[in-house]
Amino acid sequence: MLKGAIEYAPSTFEERGAAVAFTTPLLSQTRVRRGERSKLEVLIPSLSQGMGIYVVAWKSVPDMVSMTMHDRYLHDLIVKEDACSPHEIRRATLKAARRGLAGPKAAQAARRALEDDEEQSTLTHYLLILSILKAVGLESPDMLKAGIDTDEGQRLTRQLMTRAAESLRMDATLLYSRLADVAAVAAPVGLARSPKPGRLTRGLMDLKGFRDSLTDWAREVPGDAAPVAAFCAEVAQHTIAIGDKVLGDFHRRIEAIGPLMRDWDSEIVRVRAQAARMAWLLDGWSHITGAWEVAQTEDHHQQAATVNDLFRILPLLPRKESSRDFVEDSKQVRLAQRRSVRMLEDWRTGQMDMDAIRRIEAVKARSP
Amino acid sequence: MTEPADGSGQGKVDRLPGLESRLFDIPEDKFIEVVRLLERVRDHPDVRQTFAAIRPRLVQVRPGRRPTMKRVLCMPFEDVLESFSGVDVPLGRIERRVIEPVWRLVTECGDTALIDQLDRQVQETAPGNINALRNIGRRLWPMAALAIRSAVEQDGSRQMVWRLLHGDEELRRQVLDVAAFLDIGLTVEALKDALAPKPLPKLDDRHVEAIEQAAQAAARQSPTLVYYLLLVAASRMANPADLLTVLNDIDLGKARREQPVIFAQLSGLVVTNLEERSARLDGNGFGNGGGAAVAIAPEEAIAIAERLVASVNTTSAVMDFLAEPVYRERLDAVKAAVRTMVTGSVLDTAPQGILTAVAAPAANGRPVAVDDDAQSAAEDHARALRRCEGLADALGLHQPLKDAMASMEKGLLERAQALLAQYPRAAGDPDDAETAEINLFYALRLLEMVAGPARADRLRTAIMAATGEFGEG
Repeated sequence: MLKGAIEYAPSTFEERGAAVAFTTPLLSQTRVRRGERSKLEVLIPSLSQGMGIYVVAWKSVPDMVSMTMHDRYLHDLIVKEDACSPHEIRRATLKAARRGLAGPKAAQAARRALEDDEEQSTLTHYLLILSILKAVGLESPDMLKAGIDTDEGQRLTRQLMTRAAESLRMDATLLYSRLADVAAVAAPVGLARSPKPGRLTRGLMDLKGFRDSLTDWAREVPGDAAPVAAFCAEVAQHTIAIGDKVLGDFHRRIEAIGPLMRDWDSEIVRVRAQAARMAWLLDGWSHITGAWEVAQTEDHHQQAATVNDLFRILPLLPRKESSRDFVEDSKQVRLAQRRSVRMLEDWRTGQMDMDAIRRIEAVKARSP
Repeated sequence: MTEPADGSGQGKVDRLPGLESRLFDIPEDKFIEVVRLLERVRDHPDVRQTFAAIRPRLVQVRPGRRPTMKRVLCMPFEDVLESFSGVDVPLGRIERRVIEPVWRLVTECGDTALIDQLDRQVQETAPGNINALRNIGRRLWPMAALAIRSAVEQDGSRQMVWRLLHGDEELRRQVLDVAAFLDIGLTVEALKDALAPKPLPKLDDRHVEAIEQAAQAAARQSPTLVYYLLLVAASRMANPADLLTVLNDIDLGKARREQPVIFAQLSGLVVTNLEERSARLDGNGFGNGGGAAVAIAPEEAIAIAERLVASVNTTSAVMDFLAEPVYRERLDAVKAAVRTMVTGSVLDTAPQGILTAVAAPAANGRPVAVDDDAQSAAEDHARALRRCEGLADALGLHQPLKDAMASMEKGLLERAQALLAQYPRAAGDPDDAETAEINLFYALRLLEMVAGPARADRLRTAIMAATGEFGEG
């Protein structure tokens, strides 16, 4: 059941696993991955502030830890859907929160997030249609005027898209199907020209705010937690640097919609890989940036405790993604921050820490 | 804003009260905007009344107020000014009704040329420029302290002072206290920076060091002023009694000989303050003499109880050192008042606060609409109930709490079972099914909070079996 503590130095994102927004404090943001024989397993960091990571078979988690009702539901859902990627885990998490198991505010936030996803998907699709029409020189003010959601607008769009397909020497059905594929890949990231940034682009922007805020905090609030905050900001900065590069490249490829449609087989693989990389890069950060926002109304003492909480679940970059060995560097910081951490006693006592759960749920209500 | 109906001012009477109530509902940025506008005409009687009425929101929002001389005068003792609501009372508090007579004494007996000069500087100072205001205070406070003291103590002005203070001895005492705070104005201001943010959750070494330095600075002016400085320090702490635990380790410099007296003075004040705070619990309708006063929310009640119990425990420990049995009785009485408040606002109200959030099934078989607000309030109440566990020992609440928990668990299970029995009738319609399921999950959550996940898990299994969500295939 419990494989024992191991040195944790993942090479790839997949090996690092996807963060799960559990509400049980000990399990908060623990990572799930596919282990031996494709079985799901969970990585639980530093029980009792020790070093290393515990690898636990996914199905054994409820026997090990007293989980909240929300987490039991989410656990079962992940098993049922065999979810393992950030996208799949997010869908499962939103579904669990929507049921009300993390409280009314988190349920409302989950509903809003799902609606936003729908809206973003429609918007991306629409912008891609405009983009393809522009690429073949068929921009139509009439179509824009009618709007894509009216009968007239849709008739005009179909007409123009048929001509666009002819111009690209492909079947109109194939063009539609490829556009739908690109829209599905691009919606979470968002298009460069989109009036509303995609979820992952917003995540990257939030991460920049987090980096700046923690850098200032480390400078202005001396104490044990200051070097920890500085380290969190450094990890954020490295993630941002990679994210900016991936995002720029992704947008360039999507902007070149003509070549994307023509060299479909190779290009869509690249675009998909970049979107997936963005999702992996930002996986686990929305909880961290949200938790830091929530902590802004608290005093420095509480903020220091939050910094230490966040350090424990920081999404360190895998070895293949960065030249710097963050895992090794984090060990030095870990030694320094041992003195001022909130103890996660619930795994030992079996008692639920209501305050800690509430803090996690407050973040969920803000960043579902 | 105000609109005279006929030039007689009659039309004004009921216009601003309407504004007052609206000022509690408008968004924060709009509120700040309106406050800025009102500040320009703040001397108008109606506007003064409006400010008094909206003070709770002013305290909450804290918009950067336009600086005035009166506000600069109050800076050294603002931490010990009585609050407008709530149970917390600063140690050795100064009542707000003191401000007006103090200001009159300063303007009538002080250096008017200096006041005029400083007033011009204040008017040019931007809101929030604390350093500029302190620079003005540096000259205002010593002059004001001298003016107050000479007016109160000199025979020539006795008549005027008597008239200003309405012959109120308590007011006179507080006016002299204000003079003491003004004497140490700059030291107090420096201490405030060191003891920030307010309320300070706990004292660490650098806080203690700052208090020691400030106390020594006050003692250099006069040993009697140390007591006032310590009042400011205590009032900036979440648990003022914590100051007592470090006081004997602090070197008071020139006031070293007065240390036992200061300690006894502060200890007595802490106990009196606890009594006063517990007496306010009655005023909120939960004590023995409670009536139909405004109820304290359960979570707020627990937070108040936790602070008071922590203070009582700290004070008891310190009092053992003084070996004063009379204090012990007084502290026990404080605890009894807290116990009554917790019982009244958390335990006795639990059925109404928690159980009623789980609606009984409707007769027509359709699920009752989800009520997020009721659920949030019930969850807050359930959390408060669980937090009582931490106070049960100190307040002797073990059995009543155990009974309340058991009764909530039973009641929630019964209500959830009723919803579960009704579920198949909703299952056919996707919208109805979703509503019914959220109602069930909300009930499950409350049960989890009250009884813990292990006991709630049976209900979860039953819900999942009924919905078939994770069933085979």
